[in-house]
Amino acid sequence: MPKTFEEFPGVEWVEGAGEFIKIDEDKCSGCAGCVKVCLAGCYEISKKKARIKSLEKCMECAACWFVCTEGAIDFSWPPGGTGYRSDWG
Amino acid sequence: MAPEGARNEYDVIVVGAGFGGPVAAKKCAEAGLRTLMLERGGRAGEKVISGLTIPFYGFLFGPEFIRDGNPPIERPVDGIINYIIKDIDTGDIDIEDSLRLPKPLSPVIAFGYNAYCQPFCEWEAERAIESGAELRTSTVAVNVLRENGCVRGVVTDAGDSLGAKVVIDAEGCQGLLAIKAGIREKYPPDTISLADVYDYEMAKEDVDRIFGHTLRFCWGWDEQRVAPPLGYGNGLMVWPYRNSLHFIQDQCLKAESGKVPSLKDFDEYHRNITTRVPWWKDDVAPHINLRSRMWDGFEIYVGLDEDLRNMPNHTDGMILIGDAAGLESTELCDGVPAAWFSAEIAADVAIEAIRAGDTSTSFLKRYDERIRAHPIIQWSISRTNRHDLRYAQRDHDEKRLKALIHNGWGLGGFTHMSTPLAETMLGAISEDPAIVTSWIRMYFRYFYNWLYERFGEHHGELPAVSSGTQTAGHRAFKRSLESLDRVLERFSSPIKRAAAFVAPAAVIANPVMKALLPILEPMYLVLVRILEPVTDPLSKKLIDFVKRADPSMFDSPRKKGVRDAKDF
Repeated sequence: MPKTFEEFPGVEWVEGAGEFIKIDEDKCSGCAGCVKVCLAGCYEISKKKARIKSLEKCMECAACWFVCTEGAIDFSWPPGGTGYRSDWG
Repeated sequence: MAPEGARNEYDVIVVGAGFGGPVAAKKCAEAGLRTLMLERGGRAGEKVISGLTIPFYGFLFGPEFIRDGNPPIERPVDGIINYIIKDIDTGDIDIEDSLRLPKPLSPVIAFGYNAYCQPFCEWEAERAIESGAELRTSTVAVNVLRENGCVRGVVTDAGDSLGAKVVIDAEGCQGLLAIKAGIREKYPPDTISLADVYDYEMAKEDVDRIFGHTLRFCWGWDEQRVAPPLGYGNGLMVWPYRNSLHFIQDQCLKAESGKVPSLKDFDEYHRNITTRVPWWKDDVAPHINLRSRMWDGFEIYVGLDEDLRNMPNHTDGMILIGDAAGLESTELCDGVPAAWFSAEIAADVAIEAIRAGDTSTSFLKRYDERIRAHPIIQWSISRTNRHDLRYAQRDHDEKRLKALIHNGWGLGGFTHMSTPLAETMLGAISEDPAIVTSWIRMYFRYFYNWLYERFGEHHGELPAVSSGTQTAGHRAFKRSLESLDRVLERFSSPIKRAAAFVAPAAVIANPVMKALLPILEPMYLVLVRILEPVTDPLSKKLIDFVKRADPSMFDSPRKKGVRDAKDF
């Protein structure tokens, strides 16, 4: 069964997406740009570095990747057929 | 052509079944090429998020199967009301609503059509499949296959290597595959915006009564914290759909300060908009129910960067289209027409290249040349009103803000869009004069489809049609269209020559509009108001005419012979 979340109605997440976004700690400057733009709350700052809390509500917009000028975020698509889906886009 | 037996060998692989991909795939398949579409979602279009009015020029000058078909539309659009919010507490809000199609043209003739992305993209993909293209859903193209440095297919997340003579990349603005192929780099954050999208259920009669067929945009001073949200953004836009509303606020990923903006502020702006803007609070709020909230990134200003606008959109064996090629409109926030136009151009070039046995960059560069020669694409990716209005807002320059809004989302648009529209229109007529009756039929058929929720295999209850139910008006309309078909066919050659002859004169359309609009606009707006007692009943009559019509009279004669029963 796909997952849903009360704060984001009408969107379903098909399980199996895995860790499709990764952070290179060595490159991360801790600027928190990713935290600021992620509406799904996937990121947090821990010990002055960005850390992924959870990708379970990620809508694959790639805003985190676009704002990371350090190139610390490795963004890829989740495996085919997994991740978010919407009838109302 | 790629041998049928070689399961993983194709002539063309199209990556992405959004708005553009299926158009390219259909055209390639129709040309007899073995064509595969890859879609990372479980269904075409289910990863596409937008608030969407597809402008009329996409339908008029885009793919024939869409113009002559029955795509799923949510509501025809007849104009925009712009609210300029100067003081929300005292209700100091000005209105700019000059861009309204007058009745009786409205609402049968439309500036564009609102649509949900998923059903529209799926409808397109189904048409591509009918033409022989193959679709693999739940499949990500994670990399390109290379042979002697040239792109020769893609590698999927399942580990399959799929060969292709040409890869058409319709992946969208993130463009991961284009980066892997070395065609381009990640777009800078000041060219990307995040659209925060809400979908509200609303009874159709309430949407009809409150919105009719008109979009509503809000702009205003920053300190109002109503619209636009956070600077370099778009403000609030509300799209009326059939029995729902689509709402978007968006924010560029680089704020004016050069810093990354906090998008958590979207919540505050959304709260302010829905509780303080009078028409939302009083008229809309009591009748809506939030159905969905979602978001997506989109290109906002890629075209304004000259280097990005002129970047190559191809390499050996690979072509980028739509947002993957940076072709999102910088003003209307719409990428669908350019996705359609570029998909058709890419398919043409891929077909030519495969037939010539040359898919090298020196052959495929003709794709870029045609994109740069396309009047509407180039116009749509180079307009600066939306970008510049940020400074008018910052400086509280009311005069400039109003001028920019009038220029971007009011009648002033005709001072810069007339030439590209006229050039494209004359170009289309010089290629095939019969397109004129396709345009007329499209408007009437789309409106009929909207009335009866008719698209693909789906439709509401259609009225019974017989010779007895058709009025003299219906018969005259049908005869007139058929006569026009015959005239256009009979005089095809001279019409083609005349259109080609007149086409260069289209360059004067913009300056002429610039000179005449200050005189014509006030007269036009007064005239529209004065004539309303006459035009309003006429509009109702036209709606009734379409409602009772035999819809077959709105079918393209080109389509009639080959129409698939599934379409009805």
